[in-house]
Amino acid sequence: MTTRLLNERIFAVVADVMEVPAAKVTPVSSPETMETWDSVHHLNLVLALEQEFNLQFEPEEIDQLKDVQHILRIIATKSGAN
Amino acid sequence: MAITIQPYTEDMVSAVCAFNEVLEAGAVPPEFRFPESSVPAWLPPVGNRRIYQKYYLAVEGDAVRGGFILKYQDFSLGAQIRRIAYYHLPLSQGIVNKAYAGVGVMMLRSALKLEPVLFALGMGGFDRPLPLMLKAMKWKLAAVPFFFRVIHPGPFLREISALKRSPAMRLGAQFAGRTGVGWFAIHAAQRFRQRAVNIKTQTGLVSEFGSWSDDLWRECSSTYAFIGSRDSATLNILYPPGKKFFCLRVTRDSSLLGWAVLLNTQMHGNKYFGNLCVGSIVDCLAAPQHAEYIVQAAAEFLVRQGCDLIVTNHSHGRWGVALTRSGFLSGPSNFVFAPSPALADALGPTQAISEIYLTRGDGDGPVNL
Repeated sequence: MTTRLLNERIFAVVADVMEVPAAKVTPVSSPETMETWDSVHHLNLVLALEQEFNLQFEPEEIDQLKDVQHILRIIATKSGAN
Repeated sequence: MAITIQPYTEDMVSAVCAFNEVLEAGAVPPEFRFPESSVPAWLPPVGNRRIYQKYYLAVEGDAVRGGFILKYQDFSLGAQIRRIAYYHLPLSQGIVNKAYAGVGVMMLRSALKLEPVLFALGMGGFDRPLPLMLKAMKWKLAAVPFFFRVIHPGPFLREISALKRSPAMRLGAQFAGRTGVGWFAIHAAQRFRQRAVNIKTQTGLVSEFGSWSDDLWRECSSTYAFIGSRDSATLNILYPPGKKFFCLRVTRDSSLLGWAVLLNTQMHGNKYFGNLCVGSIVDCLAAPQHAEYIVQAAAEFLVRQGCDLIVTNHSHGRWGVALTRSGFLSGPSNFVFAPSPALADALGPTQAISEIYLTRGDGDGPVNL
């Protein structure tokens, strides 16, 4: 999977879970910049990403999912995207 | 900086105090504070004890961002004894600061990594943050039924907070209390399905649990699909002699039928019970066919103690029938059982709440009673 395609899928999952238009999701989107991004939505995001990419985050990886940029990096590493 | 989960050690006490101050500043209710001692006051790890608690912290640098407790206890699960953990008091800075929104799920995943076979219990209702999180993770949640029996309808109608939710309800309760309508209605409801137990039993208070309770545990444990250890060693730790518990031993013709642990508490401005004198059946054990004798003996003891109201939670179906036949009514329960996926698998087809055995003695014990 290309990085561009991966990014698009991640942006789509974030937009869907956070209930915002996809155009509003950027690499710097985070709980601090998105009103809907609270604890419950964060959990839903973790679960949705695991389902979308068929993977499971380790507890220490969950801590690193602080913003979309970090999510892109971790999923790229875990899914071996180029 | 990365957050790591680590056991709570003495050197982290001041960081936990600072974490609690953050929660307090964020107007988090005072019951949600993490213990400011690394050694549990209740159920500390001591020697070879099989029931104990361990505290864990979510630490970022020198700062605490969350914490949770695991209580370890032996359970009889499908007649096999297994150590199972109870996950409780998860507190995250995410409650007051969205930058830490991921700490709650990180702590739960860490607990599952430490102990895949665990459960959560109580939690204050299905709409609270932890049950919502567990539900999102596809855990199966079930309420442990709540039962109550009103002994003195007047004070009950006057004090119980559930009857004061609206001006109309408050007026209705006042009318029912003053006219005797309430007394009549409550007694009629309680007597409707009540069945007298014809076989006479003898009851006596015991100061501690002896080998007789081990015999009963051996006989009974395999008759329940899932039940926390109730041998004498465990019971004497949970309900130590000299504390406020009444430990009732119930026999018939010198044969042991079972036991019950009871509390009789005068409430003062309690958020649920106002100023009622509340009796509670905290814990109990008997073979399913003897449940009715134990419930009746426990209720009679608490009536003699002068309680206005008797309350209890019990998951097992046969005990629910026994409570109903002893004049108890069922009410809405906020005492929720949630087994982890691994525990749900181990429970297998018997995971209906009515097949497992949970009381207020399980989980974090009879807090608020």
